[in-house]
Amino acid sequence: MSDQPDTAVAEEADPLAEYAAGITERLGADGFSVEFGTVRVFVDRDKWVETINDARKELPFFSWLSAIDWSKETEVGEGVADPDDLVERFEVMCRLSSVTNADGAIFFATLPKDDATIGSLTATIGGAEWHEREAHEMFGIMFEGNDNLIPLYLPDAFIGNPLLKSFPLIAREVKPWPGDVDVEGLPEPEEVLAAEEATP
Amino acid sequence: MSFLLELGIKVILMLAVVLTAALVTIYAELKAGSHMQTRIGPYYAGGKWGWAQPLADGAKFIQKEDLAPAKADRTVFGFAPYVVMMSTLAVFAVIPMGPDIVATNLDLGVYFILAISSLSVLGVLMAGWSSANKYSLIGGLRAAAQLIAYELPLVLAVVAVVVQAGTMSMNGIVEAQQATLFTIGGVEVALPYILSGQIIGFTIFMIAAVAELSRIPFDMPIAESELTMGYLTEYSGIRFTMFFLGEYASLVALSAIATTLYLGGYAVPFLPESMENFAGPGIFLIKVSFLVFLIIWIRWTWPRLREDQLQSMAWRWLIPLALFNIALISVFKVVL
Amino acid sequence: MTSKELMHRSEVAVSVELETPDMTLNIGPQHPSTHGVLRLIAKVDGERITEVEPVIGYMHRGYEKLSEVRTYLQITALVNRIDWVSGFANEVPFILGVEKLMGVEAPERAQWIRLILSELFRISSHLVFMSSYPLELGATTPLMYVLREREHILELIEGVTGGRFHPNFNRVGGIKPNYGGGKQTKTQSMDLPAGFFKATLKAMDSIDQICDDIDTLVTGNELIRARTVDVGVIPADKAIEYGMSGPNLRASGVAYDLRKVENYLPYDQLDFDVISRPGGDCYDRYIVRLLEIRESAKIVRQAIDMIPVGPLQAKVPRVLKVPSGQVYSRAENPKGEFGYYIVSEGGKMPYRLKIRSTSFSNLTILPWILKGQLIPDLVAIMGSLDFVLGDVDR
Repeated sequence: MSDQPDTAVAEEADPLAEYAAGITERLGADGFSVEFGTVRVFVDRDKWVETINDARKELPFFSWLSAIDWSKETEVGEGVADPDDLVERFEVMCRLSSVTNADGAIFFATLPKDDATIGSLTATIGGAEWHEREAHEMFGIMFEGNDNLIPLYLPDAFIGNPLLKSFPLIAREVKPWPGDVDVEGLPEPEEVLAAEEATP
Repeated sequence: MSFLLELGIKVILMLAVVLTAALVTIYAELKAGSHMQTRIGPYYAGGKWGWAQPLADGAKFIQKEDLAPAKADRTVFGFAPYVVMMSTLAVFAVIPMGPDIVATNLDLGVYFILAISSLSVLGVLMAGWSSANKYSLIGGLRAAAQLIAYELPLVLAVVAVVVQAGTMSMNGIVEAQQATLFTIGGVEVALPYILSGQIIGFTIFMIAAVAELSRIPFDMPIAESELTMGYLTEYSGIRFTMFFLGEYASLVALSAIATTLYLGGYAVPFLPESMENFAGPGIFLIKVSFLVFLIIWIRWTWPRLREDQLQSMAWRWLIPLALFNIALISVFKVVL
Repeated sequence: MTSKELMHRSEVAVSVELETPDMTLNIGPQHPSTHGVLRLIAKVDGERITEVEPVIGYMHRGYEKLSEVRTYLQITALVNRIDWVSGFANEVPFILGVEKLMGVEAPERAQWIRLILSELFRISSHLVFMSSYPLELGATTPLMYVLREREHILELIEGVTGGRFHPNFNRVGGIKPNYGGGKQTKTQSMDLPAGFFKATLKAMDSIDQICDDIDTLVTGNELIRARTVDVGVIPADKAIEYGMSGPNLRASGVAYDLRKVENYLPYDQLDFDVISRPGGDCYDRYIVRLLEIRESAKIVRQAIDMIPVGPLQAKVPRVLKVPSGQVYSRAENPKGEFGYYIVSEGGKMPYRLKIRSTSFSNLTILPWILKGQLIPDLVAIMGSLDFVLGDVDR
């Protein structure tokens, strides 16, 4: 995926792209992207709280808040497609949506790894507290203004941020994953194939 | 016959009757509840219809370890089930199952019953406090609050019966219900109090009785979805069995009191008095089982009220209604 | 002065005179009404809760991390364990998201089968609520009658998918072909077991019947009304702020149903109503679910009329590699909005999978709503939110 999050990839006539462009302009955000029917709006992290609060005037429903760890090296799973071009960073994302139609957007803010701090939404969105606590314990992101960042899921004495790409999955280290065979594809009995052929 | 021998026989007979009745009630609850819930219920114990299930349960409970929390006040904790059991058993001393089939025919029978049956809440409060468990404590306090709220309508309902009967003896009240009320074509008709003016009193008495038994819809002291098991939370083994038996024994006891006070006790209309000692216990037990079934039925049908709703129902509805009932009965008593 | 005001005044007066020290009451993680392992640390003043601190995470299984080391097909088996009462409904948005990324679309018949199964799971999930909610209020009997009817639904689901709780039935581009299916012809593919439609229609009739039974046994009961009406009122703006969705949001007067607004599965061809109630109290949340069972039965009947014949599986490569891209895909789970944010970097496994689980968001309101309530109302309110701990902890 692109690391310059500023342009729409969809064609001009797409109503979703028009909508995304509109909301980006109204909020004064940095840019937007529309792919696969998902509207993403990119926000400067210093304007995070005020942008989200403005956006809630038209998209009141707070759906969720989370983060992505963009990392060159990964302990588990598959890494990014081209690690050489990657800027190591966190992305904090928050989805807001309408409660009358399908409108909705995911707001993104980029945080550098050495200064993973962003404003807290809890002052205006009560529901954000648990989501921020989760993001804090899973990624180590600080939310300024949320003074209740105690672990939500993890035990109190737990050290580490499990959703970081650098955090190993101990179970995999202890025992090789039995499901790690190359996927054989779906079973395709003749009947299903025949049925497939029967349709134009 | 020496006094001690007589006392011993009476105690043993009464224990046998009451505990058997409690076991039968437990079985009835298991079975009736099951059928109301499209289940079969106990099926295997005892060979047929699972009749021995309460005994098997009892044997199981006795085998269980008798645990007490480390911080519990052990003396009080251990004593509480016996207080509950004692107060329940003592009620049966004055309940007549026939003109002469009664342990003691006290002149102040009604007074004795009201006094002694209130003692059970003391046991509950002891259990709740001594368990060193907050759920138990809340349960015990709820039970105490419930008792204060429901003892009043219960007493007031009974007062109306005493006014109508003119006696406080349980036997006397049964006999008063056999007095001729009116005559149709030369046939003297005597009716139990529920049919001759006490229908309001009977309703109040039954509501208050269910509340005193802490059964649904008034089972807030044990409310398992809120307080796990309330004051019973920490009890196990034989002590839990005592509570459990005590609960069902007092279910029988309150049904027996209601039978005596409102349903004519061991008597039925047109039964000659000479037959009463012979047929009385049977008649009495049939009436009691009817009331027991009614209470079981309520339990398996209704949800639970909230403590404050129970309080407002008692203080704002039942007590004024009971006072009105006394006034009504007194007027009738004077006029008729 | 009305009697309510008088009562309020007297309560205030009493609490001023009898100042009692707060007691910390630990509710859970093992407690009959916490649906599993939720823990609440409540500060109570007598029976009134002054403050409550929910503690979750006793069932945290780290599905988001585990998803990063599993192929897309393996994740399907994982996600239907999130909300185990409605497993199939969790698979649907994930599979739809992957299909969007891959640019494949499931054949029409597969989509209709997904729709029917989603609705069956919705009925099943709501029936669990219908049985457990009266139980929490102290009525034990509705449980038995309602679970008996739910068994018909589970049998249908088992007949199609082979599993009662964890169907794992969706495949990218279609659904699992069923070897035990009905007679094969060129036009009729082997998917649903023989007699499925007839049995489903019969089951829908019994569902309508049990709804009537619930109405007489529970809905009309004064004690149920006394315990639920005006208890735990959640105003619409609070529900939106806390991200509550599904029946809980609709009971607060917001008629927001993803089946209507989101373009997924052929819901747009069906005629059904979005149930909403204005009150926002426990009773309304109960009523919304009860009416939704009837609506779902209606949907299933229509879907059985309209389902086309055809293939079950679109052509997908044998080894599933998902092109780079990010997509948010959501669907109406029985409990509300269930969504997945899938970040693919072109491999066999997702780079990051954010699971937006419904019960988690629905429970974030707990500290706000439980403040100042009585302990019995705590049980009534928590029950009415209809959460599953697996869905909270993921």
